[in-house]
Amino acid sequence: MATNGNGDISQDSVEEKPKSRKPKDTKFKQQKLPAWQPILTANTVLPALFAIGIAFIPLGVALLVTSNNIKELVYDYTHCNSSTTSGTCAEFFQNTSQTGETCTCVVTLTLDEDFTGSVYMYYGLTNFYQNHRRYVRSRDDNQLHGDVISYSDLNDDCDPYKTVSDNGTTMGIAPCGAIANSLFNDTFALVYQGSPNEAVGLLNTGIAWVSDKNVKFGNPSDWQKSTYTKPPNWKIPVWNLSLTEESNNGYKNEDLIVWMRTSALPTFRKLYRRINHNGTTFSNGLPKGDYQVTISYHYPVTAFEGTKSIILTTTSWLGGKNPFLGIAYLVVGSLCIVLGVVFLVIHLKWGKRVTNFVTSMEGDPSDLPLGRDRVLSNS
Amino acid sequence: MAEGQDKTDLSVRVPDNERSGTSVDRLDLAASATTAPPAISPSLNTATSVTAVNLGQVESARTRSGLIHADDNSLRPVATHVVPNVSHPVDAIPLIEEEMILPNPLVKYEYRPMEDGQGSEAPEPHHQSQQVIYINAPERNHSEINITCTSKYNFLTFLPKFLFEQFRKYANIFFLFISLIQQIPNVSPTGRYTTAFPLLLILMVSALKEIIEDFKRHRADDEINNRKAHVHRGDKWVTVKWVDVVAGDLVKICNGGFFPADLILLSSSEPQAMCYVETSNLDGETNLKLRQGHRVTKDLLRGEELASLRGMVECEAPNRHLYEFVGNIHLEGQSAVPLGPNQLLLRGAMLRNTGWVFGIVVYTGLHTKLMLNSTSTPLKRSNVEKLTNTQILLLFVLLVVLSLVCAVANSVWSGRHAHNDWYLFFDVEAESNFGLTLLTFIILYNNLIPISLQVTLEVVKFIQAIFINWDLDMYYAPTDTAAMARTSNLNEELGQIEYIFSDKTGTLTQNIMDFRKCSIAGICYGNNEESKDAFNDPTMMYNLHSQHVTADTIREFMVLLAVCHTVVPEIHHDTGEIVYLSSSPDEAALVQAARQLGFVFTTRTPETVEIEVFGKKEVYEILNVIEFSSDRKRMSVVVRCPDGKIKLYVKGADSVVYERLEETQLYSDITLQHLEEFASLGLRTLCIAKVDIPEDVYEEWKHTYYKASTSIHDREKKIEEAAELIERNLVLLGATAIEDKLQDGVPETILKLSMADIKLWVLTGDKQETAINIGYSCQLLTQNMELIILNERSLDETREALVKRKADFGDALGKVNDVGLIIDGEALRHALSCDCRKDFLDIALSCKSVICCRVSPLQKAEIVDLVKNAQKAITLAIGDGANDVGMIQAAHVGVGISGLEGLQAAHSSDYAIGQFRFLQKLLLVHGAWSYSRLSKLILYSFYKNICLYVIEFWFQIVNGFSGQILFERWSISLYNVIFTVAPPLAMGLFDRFCSAETMMKNPALYKDSQKGRLFNVKVFWVWIGNSIIHSILLFWMPMLMLTQDVAFSSGLVGDYLFLGNFVYTYVVVTVCLKAGLETNAWTWLTHLAIWGSIVSWFLFLVVYSNVYPLVRLSPEMVGMDRYMLGCWLFWLGLLLIPSACLLRDFSWKVFKGTYFKSTRQRVQEVELAKKESVINGSPRKKSSRLITERARLLSSTLFGRAGRVPSSSPPVPPSPEIPHGYAFSQEEFGAVPQAEYIRAYDTNKDKPEGL
Repeated sequence: MATNGNGDISQDSVEEKPKSRKPKDTKFKQQKLPAWQPILTANTVLPALFAIGIAFIPLGVALLVTSNNIKELVYDYTHCNSSTTSGTCAEFFQNTSQTGETCTCVVTLTLDEDFTGSVYMYYGLTNFYQNHRRYVRSRDDNQLHGDVISYSDLNDDCDPYKTVSDNGTTMGIAPCGAIANSLFNDTFALVYQGSPNEAVGLLNTGIAWVSDKNVKFGNPSDWQKSTYTKPPNWKIPVWNLSLTEESNNGYKNEDLIVWMRTSALPTFRKLYRRINHNGTTFSNGLPKGDYQVTISYHYPVTAFEGTKSIILTTTSWLGGKNPFLGIAYLVVGSLCIVLGVVFLVIHLKWGKRVTNFVTSMEGDPSDLPLGRDRVLSNS
Repeated sequence: MAEGQDKTDLSVRVPDNERSGTSVDRLDLAASATTAPPAISPSLNTATSVTAVNLGQVESARTRSGLIHADDNSLRPVATHVVPNVSHPVDAIPLIEEEMILPNPLVKYEYRPMEDGQGSEAPEPHHQSQQVIYINAPERNHSEINITCTSKYNFLTFLPKFLFEQFRKYANIFFLFISLIQQIPNVSPTGRYTTAFPLLLILMVSALKEIIEDFKRHRADDEINNRKAHVHRGDKWVTVKWVDVVAGDLVKICNGGFFPADLILLSSSEPQAMCYVETSNLDGETNLKLRQGHRVTKDLLRGEELASLRGMVECEAPNRHLYEFVGNIHLEGQSAVPLGPNQLLLRGAMLRNTGWVFGIVVYTGLHTKLMLNSTSTPLKRSNVEKLTNTQILLLFVLLVVLSLVCAVANSVWSGRHAHNDWYLFFDVEAESNFGLTLLTFIILYNNLIPISLQVTLEVVKFIQAIFINWDLDMYYAPTDTAAMARTSNLNEELGQIEYIFSDKTGTLTQNIMDFRKCSIAGICYGNNEESKDAFNDPTMMYNLHSQHVTADTIREFMVLLAVCHTVVPEIHHDTGEIVYLSSSPDEAALVQAARQLGFVFTTRTPETVEIEVFGKKEVYEILNVIEFSSDRKRMSVVVRCPDGKIKLYVKGADSVVYERLEETQLYSDITLQHLEEFASLGLRTLCIAKVDIPEDVYEEWKHTYYKASTSIHDREKKIEEAAELIERNLVLLGATAIEDKLQDGVPETILKLSMADIKLWVLTGDKQETAINIGYSCQLLTQNMELIILNERSLDETREALVKRKADFGDALGKVNDVGLIIDGEALRHALSCDCRKDFLDIALSCKSVICCRVSPLQKAEIVDLVKNAQKAITLAIGDGANDVGMIQAAHVGVGISGLEGLQAAHSSDYAIGQFRFLQKLLLVHGAWSYSRLSKLILYSFYKNICLYVIEFWFQIVNGFSGQILFERWSISLYNVIFTVAPPLAMGLFDRFCSAETMMKNPALYKDSQKGRLFNVKVFWVWIGNSIIHSILLFWMPMLMLTQDVAFSSGLVGDYLFLGNFVYTYVVVTVCLKAGLETNAWTWLTHLAIWGSIVSWFLFLVVYSNVYPLVRLSPEMVGMDRYMLGCWLFWLGLLLIPSACLLRDFSWKVFKGTYFKSTRQRVQEVELAKKESVINGSPRKKSSRLITERARLLSSTLFGRAGRVPSSSPPVPPSPEIPHGYAFSQEEFGAVPQAEYIRAYDTNKDKPEGL
């Protein structure tokens, strides 16, 4: 360093490095991987926008038509008149604190047109917060799966419906938790008012997810009837839910399974029964006319300002009647078209200038600051 | 070396009352410059490895403010460290005697017997103890293990230390807190381990990174600790590892070797036990320093003599002061003799120009001065990181507010529903209290702060740093140096640089002097400047040999070059080649040039110089050497020529030489013209003159001079006066021009950087003339540029000058004017004082170029600090020497030039590159890329998290603010570790909006990142706003879609999770596509990341829906795959909802791309157009006219620059006259003055072998 003449001396001390530190010249290491570089300008995206618009609008129309073709009847029976006592059933339950009591309503539904195809019967609840955190958690999936467990091993989240104490003996609740305890227990019978009147066959199976029925829910090998009891609000224990049909009994009862899938919104409907289309009268669906529904009214909803409805509906490949998707497609599709038009205008009005600029710059970008480079080489 | 020596000079010149301040600065900077081991620890050093700390700033601040603490031992060097520098004028006695190394009695640095070490002077803590080392009796010595340890962990300490480090980060504490409160029963909406698990994963990634880095450090340590040292133990020489060297060991170090510990120099191969050491690793001075062993030990030249050596060394307790050492050596049978810093060889220094030395180890390991000065590097955080942290805090506030709102709403809702909603059993079990509810919501929303951001950033920056290391364009083959990012947390900062502070020597220049041109007797010789070869002009040879009228002058000129210097020749035994040893590169270049031209300097004896003129030996007797000093600006020798005549040969600055010329000169005008010409090329010029001295005049003068040089008082002045008597009536022979070779590509780089609006300031310790020279040669200064030169000597003058200059600027102040500011260290010291600071800065910022010369390392750091603080600009400092360490650490980004011997700067730097020109690629490409990539990555990380988690809030509105989650808990916690982890990585690593070549060719593109346009508060909140809009669409659209519940033609209904999984899928798809929309360049890895992420979610869904009941995990997911994927609504939504979300982003992007096209988009289009045309086989066929027009168009549109001084602006006052390109480097006031040093040599004698 001190002199430029002593280089050879200092070299003696420099160790020979056999391995070069030269980096490898690969596309990856030199950050030269080939890449697709889309440039979004009005003219390049115009076709895409129009294409989306043109695809979405008809699709939207189709969806809307599909939805509109679905026949749906909703009947709010919250305040139905009792056929057994005076006044409405809602009032009846407000006046009696006994949950065991039964109130029956008989209402008439009128179908203005034929409900062709498969018809499904739902019950709908409003203002019922099945999605509340403390409610959603209040269940024990191991129990529902059919595991034989002692009641002390039940999920603590089931509290206060985990155990009951009766005269000093503690019993587990089967199934435990608030969801099961609040199982919807109104029942409906449907009679077609034709000539002659004919009861509509209602199927209580095939209303739950197959996976739920086969995988998630199962009956235990031993009901442990000595240590388990029914939930407080229930009338019968779970092992007696369907005495006639073993496959629909216990935790595998589909009404229970359907209820146990807690809804996303406080307004929801759940599948109650499938209409049996095996007979001659209903083979093509439900013909138009009057239907008498006999409702065993048990479930109190007025306390929380909720409503109960009975719903009869056909379905399409999209499920139930819901115009939203069709409308959304129409809106988005139209937006695309509008944007396309806007960009087209921009392109026609301004694009030319822009394009000129771009073409004028075509070529090697290295030319750009050329002037300066030249200045440099002089010095 | 010029720089180092100038600093020395500076500290001598300061008035006495101010000396202490300057001295402290210098010392501490030097101290701060010391560092970690001399070998590179090839780690990405995130502020943890042991390197130097800038003690200097603290110290100097204290000194400046007058707060001197008597008990602070760090102030002690004030009085002592100047010893090596000022000793010479006092004891300059022609022959080296014992007195030479006795400390100067004027300086409070006298040898004191150890017994009264704490005598009359201020008691110093470190003097209260002392160390005794027994020679040749290692078992009696207590020794610190001589080990270097820069690694952070070992097997035992890793876990506790690592965890401590990690949980000092706010984010980690936050997530740890979340994991803990999730353990409280009934509080967590997402289960107990859903935060702990990702946190653990993230910590594991960090741990892996730490282990990799520490492993490298261990290896680097081992490399140093296992170096070999020659130690004399028992009766023979043994080779031991450095780590095994103990105090009291006798070691031998050969030329070019590093000292393994602090040693006492005993003897050397050179006369009088002298040796050269290079201390650039310690104090940054690149000129060589002389050290001299004590007289009593200088004859220990052989191993046997060492073996029989008995005695002991007493020395003070270890301390960190580099220029301070007190001890004595007590050899058996002799009385104790004092030892001072002149005998101390420090670890970290290197032996140079000396065959070998013997030394006794005194301090080892942590007790060495090098180690005592090592502390950790300051942690630097980038601008982007700071901004990110602020936004994280804001988001945290948002999170708390959101949680509070929800908790309050929860209370209100519960109050209204508790008595009615019997199914919610409020009557049986009351709603949990407000505090717990709040915690629930905090857990629910905790991921508004992206948990993976920190680790993603770390990983991305780590790999970006590796990309820098891999860059072939930044590989410097001659020294086999690739670029090295030593820290990875400043990558994006490289994209925001506004000011570069550059060192000169070794950074802009190669510190290689080349003899380029000369003017002899009015004729200019030399090849044109493009030639890279050494000086070669046949005309001169022809003129010399052909009895040209100037032949005698040419001969005289060449003889002067070969005779008038202080160089020592060394003949290589094997080759017979002569090597010139000198502390001045200029002189070496001149002597070298003379040799090239047939005037070979061969032998130096104490009295004579022998040269061979075309093979014929001539002996010149050296009568006197009047040394170079920067005040005299010349050096001369009085010689008796072979023909018996006495002549004075002078070389020096033109101004000085012209003053002393005889009145009638034949070539003075033409030579002056040549000098100007040389200077304009940026060459360093010297005038060459001689005078014949009659015998009688010399006899008389000789006595005067002897008296002067032996006088006790004002010796310096008297010598100068004596010199004046004889250095007159000179006859001008000509001038030389030496090129201080620039590093490759320096002017081009400076131009490119200036086009990127980066301002370059040169801060050099070198002289003003040298600095201006370099300024011209590297295009920093141009011929038509006004120069403002500030070298005022007092505060008042400086203030006055500044005010005046400021007024001269008028309206142009604050704009970039075509003016160059040159300020020297002295004036700078005043300019940096409180009341001038502002004016100085105003002026400096109004100039196009700023050159600060003769600045101390500390001042370098101060200037950086000034600009950093006052301008709020991001600064970069680049340098190669340890004297640059201060500014490298002070600047936002420190870049070190590596590959040379002194790796000091590289060690404390954040990025080490082989050449100054690599700065272009580092900033314009890596910096700009890293910045834009990381900006996107950060914004995107926030976006994706907010998008998902604000959905939870929308869901609260419909579930009574109960804290219920919409998604399955493990899908949520895997969101940040699986499903959306790849797109930000791809973005951070592979995105680029145009190729590296284009970036390099269009420096204007740098401005985007420089101005921080891609990531600032506004951009951040626009992204947040956007993600909230997306979350609204992503929640409410699927919700409305499923509002009637019936989703299947079979009449089945879903549940909350059915909706949740719809939404979750749409979120994953949307955010992945959004990443795609923000990506400019889709490499196959980007495709993999984006599509792979989407696919990974679907795969997860399918697998996860089928694990129950095999694994008792999430029964609620059972059948989800089958029913979701079998649901038409799902697919229709998948088509509609992400496109609806992104429609706005997409069209806005299109709109901007068409309407408000930015520079980068234009460049990008041009690049793509070019690529396409190449692909189509029709490369550009535009006429040259078009190109020119295009260039003009672009220069007016794209490269418009800041306003310049309007032509009508008041003229800047004329600059003071500066000498023509004069510059010269030579060590001044060293331990042994040059004039005496050369007297000690007799190159005819063989040197001892030292075995």
